[in-house]
Amino acid sequence: MSELNTFLFNILLFSLFFNVGISLYGIFARPSLIKKIIALTIFSDTANVLAIAVGYRGWPSPSQPPIPPVITTTEPSIDDLTWFARQAVDPLPQALVLTAIVIGLAVTLFLVFLTLQVYRLYGTTDVRRVARLRG
Amino acid sequence: MYYLSVGVLVPSLIGLAFVLPLLGMIIKNIKFFHAYASAASLYALVVAAYNFSIVVKEGVKAYPFGGWWPPIGISYELDEVNSLIALLTASVMFLITLYSAWYIRDLKDAPYYYTLLLGLEVGMLGCIYTGDAFNLFVMLEVMSISAYALVGFYRNKPEAVEAAIKYGLFGAVATTLYFIGLVFIYASFGTLNMADLTNKVTLFWGYDLVSGYYYGQVYAATAIALALSLWAFTFKSAVFPNHFWLPDAHPEAPTPVSAALSGLVVNVGVYATFRFLYTIFNPFSAVSGLRDLILLVTLVLGLASGLIGALMMAVQDDIKRLLAYSTISHIGLVLVGLSIGSSLLSKPGSQAFVDGLTGAFYHLINHSLGKSLLFLTAGVIIYAAGGTRRLDELGGVARRNPLLGAALIIGVLQLLGIPPFGGFFSKYLLYASYLEAGAPYISVIINVISAISLLGYVRLLYAALFTTPKREFVRASALPTIILLILSVACLITGILSPIMSEWLRRFVEATTSRDGILNYWLQGYLIFWGR
Repeated sequence: MSELNTFLFNILLFSLFFNVGISLYGIFARPSLIKKIIALTIFSDTANVLAIAVGYRGWPSPSQPPIPPVITTTEPSIDDLTWFARQAVDPLPQALVLTAIVIGLAVTLFLVFLTLQVYRLYGTTDVRRVARLRG
Repeated sequence: MYYLSVGVLVPSLIGLAFVLPLLGMIIKNIKFFHAYASAASLYALVVAAYNFSIVVKEGVKAYPFGGWWPPIGISYELDEVNSLIALLTASVMFLITLYSAWYIRDLKDAPYYYTLLLGLEVGMLGCIYTGDAFNLFVMLEVMSISAYALVGFYRNKPEAVEAAIKYGLFGAVATTLYFIGLVFIYASFGTLNMADLTNKVTLFWGYDLVSGYYYGQVYAATAIALALSLWAFTFKSAVFPNHFWLPDAHPEAPTPVSAALSGLVVNVGVYATFRFLYTIFNPFSAVSGLRDLILLVTLVLGLASGLIGALMMAVQDDIKRLLAYSTISHIGLVLVGLSIGSSLLSKPGSQAFVDGLTGAFYHLINHSLGKSLLFLTAGVIIYAAGGTRRLDELGGVARRNPLLGAALIIGVLQLLGIPPFGGFFSKYLLYASYLEAGAPYISVIINVISAISLLGYVRLLYAALFTTPKREFVRASALPTIILLILSVACLITGILSPIMSEWLRRFVEATTSRDGILNYWLQGYLIFWGR
């Protein structure tokens, strides 16, 4: 069971870094601005998933799967809190990701607006043709 | 004991900035917005000056937000170096905001322009004040989004939109890379508070109970994190090879914004590099070997961008583009000064070490003043020349207006490094530090960079001063002239008072980068809140 967990964990990490590679290729090499923006969102989402994965302290540990960082008892005792602190996933990366998503939303919206403006002014969203039209 | 003024500046300025679009729906008189924005940035200047005076008097000051003590909450932390850079930022931004009142005098979109300009100032001050690595990311994004939007502010101008999307797309990649770096830091150190990280890297006091122990391969994770974050910082400060966006983006922005971007925004990347390599991953830390390698890379990149900026200046036809390349060259020089701290070149606290860092910050200040002076002068020159930015069409407009000509000459001399001005003394310190460190070839390259950049500056002076005037005399109004005068006097003061200035800076640098200083950064930023 623990080998399977390690295997799955490695697949997760590998695919995250593979995703980073693909999305960077998309941003730098694809000519279409829309595709660049899609690649950018993939890139930032990959970063966010990486942050979430980091929050799973002690994973993989099949005997003690982590619990959500929410205390369900209304008046927890010290023992409850100790157990909770040992079991729960780290909530801080989730807070970071929430902030990063909001910022990413603002940046993406702004870039999409600029792409629209590029299309209005140049009649294309292909960066090669934009560069040629600019002269 | 913490001061409210340390924490209150950035949030209150954000509030002042975002009220503007709402006010824009009610109030139709543009003059109100000029006055409002100038008052807001004057407020920022006053608070930044007050914070600086506190820090000079009483040493490092931290402010925990919301009463959550570090490392749980976000804290702002001020030491001598960052309060000085914040004061510089706030004062130059105040002049730029005043100048904007002349530059965009009949623009309908003034509320939006000022929202973005104040947002830019908030972002810069936040980046400089913050004592939290993740808050640095957030503030970097606040600054960057304002900067992207200001570059593309003339949204019906094809070049401006193209420059903005180039800057925005790659800037977003850079900040996301910094975020990935932060994930690595958090995964291995369990904290993002700079003071706490400093302790955990340097082992002043083992590890602490609040943020726990280390996890995983700390050394490898630090290497990846440093590489990624330095990539982001060099992108923000436009160091070779990440300089490609700057010559497009800076000229296309409205001129006051070009001055802010070229004079101040690039400083933030340099400051963040300093904070990472001299406070968090400091020379006394457990990762000093890694640090040497990275400082070697920044040294090479700094020299390369100094040379490339100086060479490209000589072939530009556009006055603002020429100044933008000059920014790349000067930031390269500042980065060369920052790279002195590698143990291959100097020991911490030695003459070369302190000289190099003093020279770097002195040059940063000189460049900010000189470059914003030149950009603001260029704005008036372009206005007087009828809106053209091409050097051969300027036709000696500065000749008809002696004050304008004087401002241009002072700015050029400041950046070129001619004795009575500050640029000479800071370049001299950089030069002397590398001689002292036993690397004379780098000193020679610094001189070569200055010599090459002479070509570009002479072209600028020739076009604006020595060609025969073709146009009618256009009188510049009083406001920009006064601002240019103030900045010229500031350039002169940094030069004339250079013994005092360099002595002060030397004290600040020693206080910030010595072992005691770093220990104090941790004590004041972290332990003081828990130690009672």
